[in-house]
Amino acid sequence: MNPNSRSRCVLVCAAFIGLFSIFSFRLIYLQAIKHDEYAGLAAEKHVYKQIIYAERGTILDANSEVLAHNIPVETVVADATHLSNPEAIVGPVSNELGIPSRQLAEKLNSGRRYIVIKREVPEHTANALREKLRAGNLRGIYFEHDATRIYPNGSMLCHVIGFTDFDHHGIQGVEASMEEYLHGQDGYRFIEHNRAGQEIVPYRGQERAPRDGYQIHLTVDLGLQNIVENEIDAAMQQYSPQKATIILMRPQTGEILAMANRPHFDLNLRSEAKPEQMKNRAIIDMMEPGSTFKIVAAAAALNERKLRPDSEVFCENGLWKFGGAALHDHRSFSYLSVRDILIKSSNIGAAKLALSVGEQKFYEYIRRFGFGERTGIELPGEINGLIRPPQSWSKISITRIPMGHEIGVTPLQMTVAMATIANGGKLIVPRIVKSITTSEGTTISSLSPVVLRQVISPEIAREIGDALRGVVSDAGTAAAAAVPGFTIAGKTGTAQKVDPRGGYEEGKYVVSFAGYLPADHPEFVGLVVLDDAHTSKPELNYGGLVAGPIFARLAEKAARYLDLEPHEEIRKAIPVERVEKKVPAERIHKTASAERIALTNASRH
Amino acid sequence: MTAFLAVAGLTYVYLTLQLYHLGERRKAVENELTSLRTQNDVASAQIAALTSRSALQRRLKEGYLKMIPISEANIVRLTIPPRSPDEDTIQPVANPSAAR
Repeated sequence: MNPNSRSRCVLVCAAFIGLFSIFSFRLIYLQAIKHDEYAGLAAEKHVYKQIIYAERGTILDANSEVLAHNIPVETVVADATHLSNPEAIVGPVSNELGIPSRQLAEKLNSGRRYIVIKREVPEHTANALREKLRAGNLRGIYFEHDATRIYPNGSMLCHVIGFTDFDHHGIQGVEASMEEYLHGQDGYRFIEHNRAGQEIVPYRGQERAPRDGYQIHLTVDLGLQNIVENEIDAAMQQYSPQKATIILMRPQTGEILAMANRPHFDLNLRSEAKPEQMKNRAIIDMMEPGSTFKIVAAAAALNERKLRPDSEVFCENGLWKFGGAALHDHRSFSYLSVRDILIKSSNIGAAKLALSVGEQKFYEYIRRFGFGERTGIELPGEINGLIRPPQSWSKISITRIPMGHEIGVTPLQMTVAMATIANGGKLIVPRIVKSITTSEGTTISSLSPVVLRQVISPEIAREIGDALRGVVSDAGTAAAAAVPGFTIAGKTGTAQKVDPRGGYEEGKYVVSFAGYLPADHPEFVGLVVLDDAHTSKPELNYGGLVAGPIFARLAEKAARYLDLEPHEEIRKAIPVERVEKKVPAERIHKTASAERIALTNASRH
Repeated sequence: MTAFLAVAGLTYVYLTLQLYHLGERRKAVENELTSLRTQNDVASAQIAALTSRSALQRRLKEGYLKMIPISEANIVRLTIPPRSPDEDTIQPVANPSAAR
């Protein structure tokens, strides 16, 4: 090789070495130095974070009957960039989903890339559409898995259960208050797509499994709820009240066994419901309780040892002028014992009981019974009620508040107050949530009863309970609330309805009955409230005549449902032969009524 | 050496294809599982709707179901004697849900 050739060869080699060195440096620059940056850019193009949605937890009653759960549905969407033949798609999609063709065509031609065609499409409809699109080889329509909330019992317990919005967030009832537990935690998975948009499974990246929402077990027993719903419906039919509320509660634990309000709505048709129907009046409506509130005045006077149950109070023969205003009783009473003040429901007597302890002390007892503050139940929107401090009372307030006027309480507060008497003077926090479990059944949280305070001594609670038994006797104001075979303690309430413009509405009343059964060992406390009931005669619009019988009917059914054993007297009173002889139903009913009166008289003495 | 490299290359290609193939199968099984879960959820929802208290109540009203209340005379109650803590014998039991 001559020197020229050698030098040319060296030059070419050097050029190649130089060129490949540049390539090598570039390669190192791209693959090592700039690796993260370009890998990130590539990932942005091909890697997607796929959300794996957690399933919302179910809501169950105390016996694990389903109250709210999920049903899979699909959201039908279109990717405008993949729509090869929009005109051909309109026909099958419009037929299957029931969307007018013109409306659908407008949506598809809206110019947006991601178009939601219809939400909450049932699985079978989505499958049928899928088949049609496959058969017609039509592209651009996709199905996204989703779930919708369904409520198998429709309107039953609607105010307690509540409902969710489009994004599956609870916005009312337990759905809202237990959102944190029901919602669960979505999972994710990083996936890569090929050019056709299909996942390349071997290239799956980091993954986190979803955690489904927890199950919420309520304290409500649907068997009792059903009894309450039937009774409130019957009451609505019979008396056509503007509003009605019934609550059943276990006094020892604070468990709400049933809660119903009217008007109500169907949870599955919530979009059609009016705001008035959606209110849980048991916790967000204020009412003047009327005479049921007299238990507070009696409890205060007895617990402060100002009076004894048999101490006699002069009831001014039915008319008493105090603070420049007249206070009436519904009948003329001269001297009544503290017990009889409750039994006969004397307004003047109750006013004098409150006066015996004084304004400040009486106010303290009102607050100690839980009025004027939220009960703490696990339901959203509960109000405090309205209890003014003594500084803003008028001269006559001390005589009006004991009979349940000039104050605002919720039906639940009134139930809790009655439960305090039934529970030996212990004020307990009402509860609607019994436990929280995983979908596999592992208990996350089990809520125990919470005693807030000892409001009155157990002895005084028993004394008041004894007096309240008399209310349901022939001498009391609620003889019609008696239940054959059981001793009941309770108190009626009849309050003139407050006019929002001021004063009271003429001829309109809020009637109520709060009681418990059996009086010795209460299994449940119940409250029946009817707002503006329509009776055949105005003089029949009293708590004892309207709400009392409703309570009696539901208490009788509830006692049977709970398998409470009636007194020996009633069991003996029903001869076996009577059933064997197949007495007509009507006659049995009449016999039972006669026994009811006889038993009531017997238990009174 | 060449043969070894060739076999290694072919094995690599074969295993890569297997990886894709198994990935596809995995995806198909996952889809099937999702579909079965969906069917199961739909069926559960239908069962819950048909056996709900409201639905049964409705059918009772329509006359599809017939239920007669048990009369008091037909109820037999057994009184369980109070249990002594030091008794080491078999004790009678009661259904706690019925004995509320």
